[in-house]
Amino acid sequence: MDVARDGTLGRAAVGAATAVLVAGGAALGWHVGNLHNGLIAAAFTAVGLFVLRRSPRNPEGRLFVATGVAHAVMYAGRQYGLHPGPLPGASWVGWCGVWPLPLVLVLIGVTVMGFPTGRLPSRAWRPVVGVLGAVGLVLSAVSALWPVEYGRTGLVAAHPLHLPGAAAAEAFYGVARPFGYLLLQLTWVACVVVRMRQARGDEARQLRWFVYAVTVSAAVMLVGLAVWRSPVPGALTAPLIAAAAGAAILKYRLYDIDPVINRSLVFGAMAAAVTAGYAVVVTGVGRLVDGHGTLLSLAATGVVAVAFEPLRRRVQRIADRLVYGRRATPYEALARLSAHLTAPAGGLLDGICTTVADAVGAREVVLWTGPPDALRAVSVWPAASPVPDGARRLADLVAVPVRHDGGFRGALTVTKAPGEPLSAAEQRLVGDLAAQAGLVLELRATAQRLVAAGDAARRRLERDLHDGAQQRLVTVAMELGGVVRSATAAGADDVAAQASAVREQLLEATAELREMARGLHPAVLTQDGIEAATGFLADRSPLPVRLTVSVGRRLPAEAEATAYFVVSEGLTNAAKHSGATVVSVTVSLAAAGLVVEVADDGTGGAAVRPGSGLEGLMDRLAILDARLTVDSGPAGTRLRTVIPCT
Amino acid sequence: MLADDGVLFREGMARILTEAGCTVTGQAGDVASLLAQVRAAPPDVAVIDLRMPPGFAAEGIEAAAAIRASAPGVGLMLLSQYLEVHHALRLITEFDGGVGYLLKDRVSDLTAFAVDLRRVAHGDTVIDPELVSRLVARRRERDPLDDLTDRERAVLALMAQGLSNAAVAADLHLAIKTVEAHVTSIFTKLGLVQHEREHRRVLAVLTFLRA
Repeated sequence: MDVARDGTLGRAAVGAATAVLVAGGAALGWHVGNLHNGLIAAAFTAVGLFVLRRSPRNPEGRLFVATGVAHAVMYAGRQYGLHPGPLPGASWVGWCGVWPLPLVLVLIGVTVMGFPTGRLPSRAWRPVVGVLGAVGLVLSAVSALWPVEYGRTGLVAAHPLHLPGAAAAEAFYGVARPFGYLLLQLTWVACVVVRMRQARGDEARQLRWFVYAVTVSAAVMLVGLAVWRSPVPGALTAPLIAAAAGAAILKYRLYDIDPVINRSLVFGAMAAAVTAGYAVVVTGVGRLVDGHGTLLSLAATGVVAVAFEPLRRRVQRIADRLVYGRRATPYEALARLSAHLTAPAGGLLDGICTTVADAVGAREVVLWTGPPDALRAVSVWPAASPVPDGARRLADLVAVPVRHDGGFRGALTVTKAPGEPLSAAEQRLVGDLAAQAGLVLELRATAQRLVAAGDAARRRLERDLHDGAQQRLVTVAMELGGVVRSATAAGADDVAAQASAVREQLLEATAELREMARGLHPAVLTQDGIEAATGFLADRSPLPVRLTVSVGRRLPAEAEATAYFVVSEGLTNAAKHSGATVVSVTVSLAAAGLVVEVADDGTGGAAVRPGSGLEGLMDRLAILDARLTVDSGPAGTRLRTVIPCT
Repeated sequence: MLADDGVLFREGMARILTEAGCTVTGQAGDVASLLAQVRAAPPDVAVIDLRMPPGFAAEGIEAAAAIRASAPGVGLMLLSQYLEVHHALRLITEFDGGVGYLLKDRVSDLTAFAVDLRRVAHGDTVIDPELVSRLVARRRERDPLDDLTDRERAVLALMAQGLSNAAVAADLHLAIKTVEAHVTSIFTKLGLVQHEREHRRVLAVLTFLRA
């Protein structure tokens, strides 16, 4: 690939420039107050460049690089201006490290608000960012013109400009700065909170990685300030935020975050509790009972040891609740399952998997149906995961069997994060959900059997008509033909005419019967498949039909019959109601199943009404886990379904 | 030679065809018996039910293909309760003439049926008029058939049934020259290549109508 075009060269240049600025700045001395700028510069640029290498044009990666580079400039500028023996041009170079600060903070805000996609959660945030940018611009402009920030940075070199009105600028900045920064912080916290509340699945986990890193960093900062009275430990964790954010953007080990947070919470809480307990016993009680230091230490250790396990269990439960907030109690899980089951059909099996996944915080849940020696996956959570294909034996799976009425109906496999086995309570919960799932699978199987039996009965009826009544009628018509012939030969013209008229009527009756038999079940569908059968429908349609059928092989009878009925109903509706001039029928085989689409250019108005053909179609499709979408508007009506079939 | 799994129908057809002056050389209730009898004494025409045991699908066409391979001189007349366009196209594409595809009802008009049998025996192609009219009546987005005159459409329908120019002329009470002029006009308007042989002509017209 072209080196310049894939951005390698650009990334190398940015990386080298940042490295020079940070390394050069670091060589100029050690200044605790400027340390965080160097660390942020190095970490954010490095992570941003790595993200861009893995996923070029990633907007969040670009924001990271911008943040890193801006900090590199500020770091180098300040290091230069902080040098004790003023260096040549120090006032201007140092100035470059000071005045951009408010704008750079806005940039950080946008980077945080854009996480993890690099885009704001919605368009509504754009004016907010505009306001922040304006505030940053004003603050930066004031800082560029007057030395309002210099007191905080401790630069040796003086501000290069000496404009009048310094006192007024100082007064304005003293008020505007805290307000501006407060606004900025509130905004990005609000944005992250909004995003976390809306986020589902992977994005929620990406945000958790980030928030986790920020929280740990803040905790270290607080501990550092409290214990050592130094911001250095906190500043040193800035790269941790960048690294966690980078891993989250690239979705690296995304699913390991939950147990990490869980254990951190338990560890942190227990460490705090032990320290506090020890401190209370030793210092608090020690003040009352003087001179028994060793004894008190022993007593404290004993108290902590006895309280530790029950306390840990309680803390663990709270941590579980916090981390797996979506993880429901058994009652909630069962209630949610019933809600899933009353939802529109089609997602029934997916509903079971989602409920189980929510209930135990699983990483993957698979629902299998069939006999124990040939189980097939019918649904997977998360929906994006590939459905395992091929048959499995129950013995080869670590599965919870799904039973109903004592009979084996299928199995559930639940995968959790490594090192986090199913607890006994969770196993019981999965067992309870499996019992509910058994009923669902049983109902579904019953419905499938009913439809199959109905189809078989119609097929048999059609066969019986074909071989019986139709054949007999044709035979009688033929015999009448013989009568016509002999009557004509014998000169009995009136008898011949009568017989001929009867024969005509008989043939009309035969034609009607033929239509009826075809309506029951088109023999051509069983014999020649969906392509020939839809061809017949198109030939007979009162509207012109654009027919595209590419199936290529025979499919299970119920899938073919259902697809046929969808096309038939769609054509009938289009001809009856829509005022369309043309109907497009597409039947094709995709990975998800048989895709059937009937679209017309009429005036719309199609809806699923009780007792309508469309409703019957939906019921039929639901049994095959397919959903009928009906889009009907002024531009026409479109029926579409995907019938899963193997 | 008659092959149909319905005994009543088969026996009735045998009797009536005999009365109409045909010689029925044999009767078969399944494909194996049909093939054996045709191999032993090849008839002029074999009348075959399209749907026969064991599968009740399109066994008739398979049997016809087997007969054509072993005894190329035998005319093949397939009868069916339903008319399927793809079956018709398959018969015309896979067989080079001497083949017919009719609704079972047609047997009751003995005179016409006897004519059709003779045509098949002579190597012509016979396609059921109902199937052709279904295709001609088919709605198209921009219908090229709109460009044809009523008379030309009538000629087209008869051509698609396998009739020769002379037969079309007789049917419509026209001079052969007139029919020839119509045929040329139809082929020009539809953008089809003319064929001398009726069979190739049927194939071209039906393929066009189906497209």
